[in-house]
Amino acid sequence: MAADEQDEPAWGMSRRRFLKGVGVVGAGAAIADPDLLRAQDQPPASAAAQPAAATDGPTKITLAVNGQKIDLTAEPRVTLLSALRDYAEPAVTGPKLVCGMGTCGACTVLLDGKPVYSCLCLAADVQGKKIITAEGLGTPEKMNPVQEQFCEKDALMCGFCTPGFVTALSATVEKTPNATVDQIKQGCAGNFCRCGTYPRVFEAAVAAAKA
Amino acid sequence: MQQTQPTPKKMKTIKVPRVVNGVETEVEIEVEDTGGAGPKWGPNEAHQILNKPLPRVDGPLKVTGTAKYTYDVRPKGMLFGRILTSPHAHAKVKSIDLSGAKAVKGAFAVEHALKQALHEGAPVAAVAAPTPELAEDALRAIKVEWEVLDHVVEAAAAMKPGAPKVFPDDEKAKIANNVRGAESRGEKDATTAALDKADVVVEAEYRTPMQHHVCLEPHGITVDYRGGDEATVYASTQGTHTIPGDAAKALGLGQSKVLSVVEHMGGGFGAKFGIGVEGQLACKLAKEAKAPVRMMLTRQNEFLFAGNRSGSWQKLKGGASKDGTLVALLATQYRLGGIGNGNQAGQPYIYTVATSARDVAAIHTNEDSSRAFRAPGHPQASYAIESLIDDLAHKLAMDPLEMRKKNLKDPVYHRQLDRGAKEIGWERRNKVAGQVASGAKGPVKRGIGCAVGQWGGGGSKQCVVTVNIARDGAVSVLCGSQDLGTGTRTYMRAIVAEELGLQIEQVNEELGRSNLGSANASGGSTTAASLAPAVKHAAYNARAKVVERVAPLLGAKPDEVTFAKGNVSGGGKSLGWKQACAALPSAGVSEKGEWQPDLAGRGVHGACFAEVEVDTETGHVKPIKMVHVQDVGLPLNRTAIESQINGGMIQSLGQALYEGRVMDAELGVMLNPNMEDYKIPGSLEMPEMVPIIDDADDRQVVIGVGEPALIPAVGALANAVFNAIGVRIHDLPITPDKVLMALQTQGSATKEGSQS
Repeated sequence: MAADEQDEPAWGMSRRRFLKGVGVVGAGAAIADPDLLRAQDQPPASAAAQPAAATDGPTKITLAVNGQKIDLTAEPRVTLLSALRDYAEPAVTGPKLVCGMGTCGACTVLLDGKPVYSCLCLAADVQGKKIITAEGLGTPEKMNPVQEQFCEKDALMCGFCTPGFVTALSATVEKTPNATVDQIKQGCAGNFCRCGTYPRVFEAAVAAAKA
Repeated sequence: MQQTQPTPKKMKTIKVPRVVNGVETEVEIEVEDTGGAGPKWGPNEAHQILNKPLPRVDGPLKVTGTAKYTYDVRPKGMLFGRILTSPHAHAKVKSIDLSGAKAVKGAFAVEHALKQALHEGAPVAAVAAPTPELAEDALRAIKVEWEVLDHVVEAAAAMKPGAPKVFPDDEKAKIANNVRGAESRGEKDATTAALDKADVVVEAEYRTPMQHHVCLEPHGITVDYRGGDEATVYASTQGTHTIPGDAAKALGLGQSKVLSVVEHMGGGFGAKFGIGVEGQLACKLAKEAKAPVRMMLTRQNEFLFAGNRSGSWQKLKGGASKDGTLVALLATQYRLGGIGNGNQAGQPYIYTVATSARDVAAIHTNEDSSRAFRAPGHPQASYAIESLIDDLAHKLAMDPLEMRKKNLKDPVYHRQLDRGAKEIGWERRNKVAGQVASGAKGPVKRGIGCAVGQWGGGGSKQCVVTVNIARDGAVSVLCGSQDLGTGTRTYMRAIVAEELGLQIEQVNEELGRSNLGSANASGGSTTAASLAPAVKHAAYNARAKVVERVAPLLGAKPDEVTFAKGNVSGGGKSLGWKQACAALPSAGVSEKGEWQPDLAGRGVHGACFAEVEVDTETGHVKPIKMVHVQDVGLPLNRTAIESQINGGMIQSLGQALYEGRVMDAELGVMLNPNMEDYKIPGSLEMPEMVPIIDDADDRQVVIGVGEPALIPAVGALANAVFNAIGVRIHDLPITPDKVLMALQTQGSATKEGSQS
């Protein structure tokens, strides 16, 4: 086994390995957030993480999402993103399916506090882990500082990328008090917005990091 | 009661935009001539809520992930849809076998009536199944037998005699050698003669590739139909009212039996009107399954059959006199819209040129059809002419900004160019392109460029708005329009709050449902200019009804009653809002509003400045700062408008430096149909951005701002690169390889030049 393959996480496809499998990566290809890369390459922290049963049929999966236990029945190939959006009852739709390949960050969730692309995790592999989505960071009535500042500074337009940005940057702000603009830019380098909210996303997150 | 004959309304004819699938044309309509009566916006600075920075009212829902988009709707028993597409650029469907798909547990499969795929990604069939994974299985189980035909995906090759025909019914559609609608405009002989006499002449070609919309929410609908005679269709669309007709037809229902819902919408940029092929297939499947179907495109589908901004290939020959006056322009303009017709504004675009002529045509290739994309056709034309002007200014050793002023009569451009120049520090530019000011050495060179644009926009008579005031003081404003992220919800509330002297939180809004009153689709920057006047009118009428009831209580004449700070006052007395509303009839007040021509305007300008750094060793272009000055009439919400100006600049930044569809000519397939290889701007590319609302615009009318903010930035960035390195890159995006190649070519040209 090649040395670089030994780092393979037991619980899912890493973004690095995923990228290797994606044929054309042009000169202008998206640059991954290094923190996000590191987070996804971490082996599971908890030894209690259960590997999926070897089965090709639907299996029982239990997820801990935003402090609630969610039971669902899904095949082992179901991603965490799909489990949340398409299987969970009621659906958890803050994380969005946009690129489906770990590029855009719209599906970002916190897995044991670290931002990961939920479209690259298998649901069966993240049982026993603490999953937080944008819904779990705050409510419209009681938003977290990043969410509050996003509203205040108009860091959103259509809003489809917003839960992903909010989630990634909540982790950045948590980890880096008084984060600089450059640190914020790095913190959301794994997220894409098409409406063009970036300048105000930076303003909002810098303000939130000061709070 | 005496019956009086109603006096016939005095009418007048006005010009308004008509937008079909996002592309704007102009029509004349008749409207009532009120002789200046009715609601007025008043001076921009007199507003309490409008023209101020307002947080958007749906912000808290969006930042907490609780806003429900079409993609988030999951009715009970819903099936997941997927679409099978052509792997070939050009092929005939010989047979389709759906039996394997239908054998998958709980799956349904239907054919799309496609005999011949004209491009890779053309939809062929569709499936729906109880889980996304089963839908994937069903999709793979479909067997299609293809007869592969010759294809062509490059414009130059497509025009050659004997090239593969893109369309099977070539002659019928009056297409020769894949060229459609070739025509000549202007006086070619006079232009050629004028070019011969010009003091300086620049001749060059400019190319732009197809740009993709990359709306984060893909196209699609969720059709909630379970048999019976009614359906609810959730759609990711720019036109709530473009859905029920299409869906009703596809489901075989009466149009009034289909409700469309567009609560929140994840971006459109011109590509989302009607239910599309995906909607047709979803309805077909729902009808067969008698169950709800969600059919959202995959990201690959988005790139392969959800439209694009047409590419362009322009050949320009422009001449100027010594004082910088443009004297002649000869243009050949090809629109490269795949199997679509493409868009391109005619040259010399916004400039006044004494003599000009142009040949225009669409060249077809075996690629997906172009669709409207934020300012269709404008950035392509702008990039080419703005590049040419800078090249002419360079030859004349003239300040490019002064050259623009010389050839733009409208004083608004002069004002905006001066404002932008001050903000960017225009005097810091390299006085001679490529010759960096003394002292600055090393491989990294800075440059500054500018460009201007224009947009029509305007409103028309399409929205019906209702303002309700309940006896308990609750106020709501309703219209079946849609909020694409432009801030429609927020200004609906703000206009009503302003009119009634309330806080924005005291008003609720409802939109995005086809049963809430008619509204135009959001294309051509016509939404705000069509909707805001109707909202104002409805609020004005509702206010009059409150006055009718409250004036007697106050002992005031109706025209003395004022609404401010939550109070209704007059005759020396004042009532709180709730007290005043208690005087309303038990059913409250419900007033309609229609479009008011005097409240909407047309025609905006826009000037953009960009500063970049070019690393001459790696070819990398780093944007440093961008400034855009935009006139907008009355700014309804300053925050949202500034955000939209930023957005326009950023999408242009993508076009200028990063984005482009890459095709494999041999295979006829797209090489980058995903967000990893199709690069849109991200956080690490962001320059400092300065959006400026041109407050000298005192027209006191509402004008849309979505499109104009996108247009000039491409030219400004291209000119900034030219100013930095003194070499012109003739095709977008300006990637490192092209920069290095251009520098090398320039180097050898200089050497040859010095030897001769």
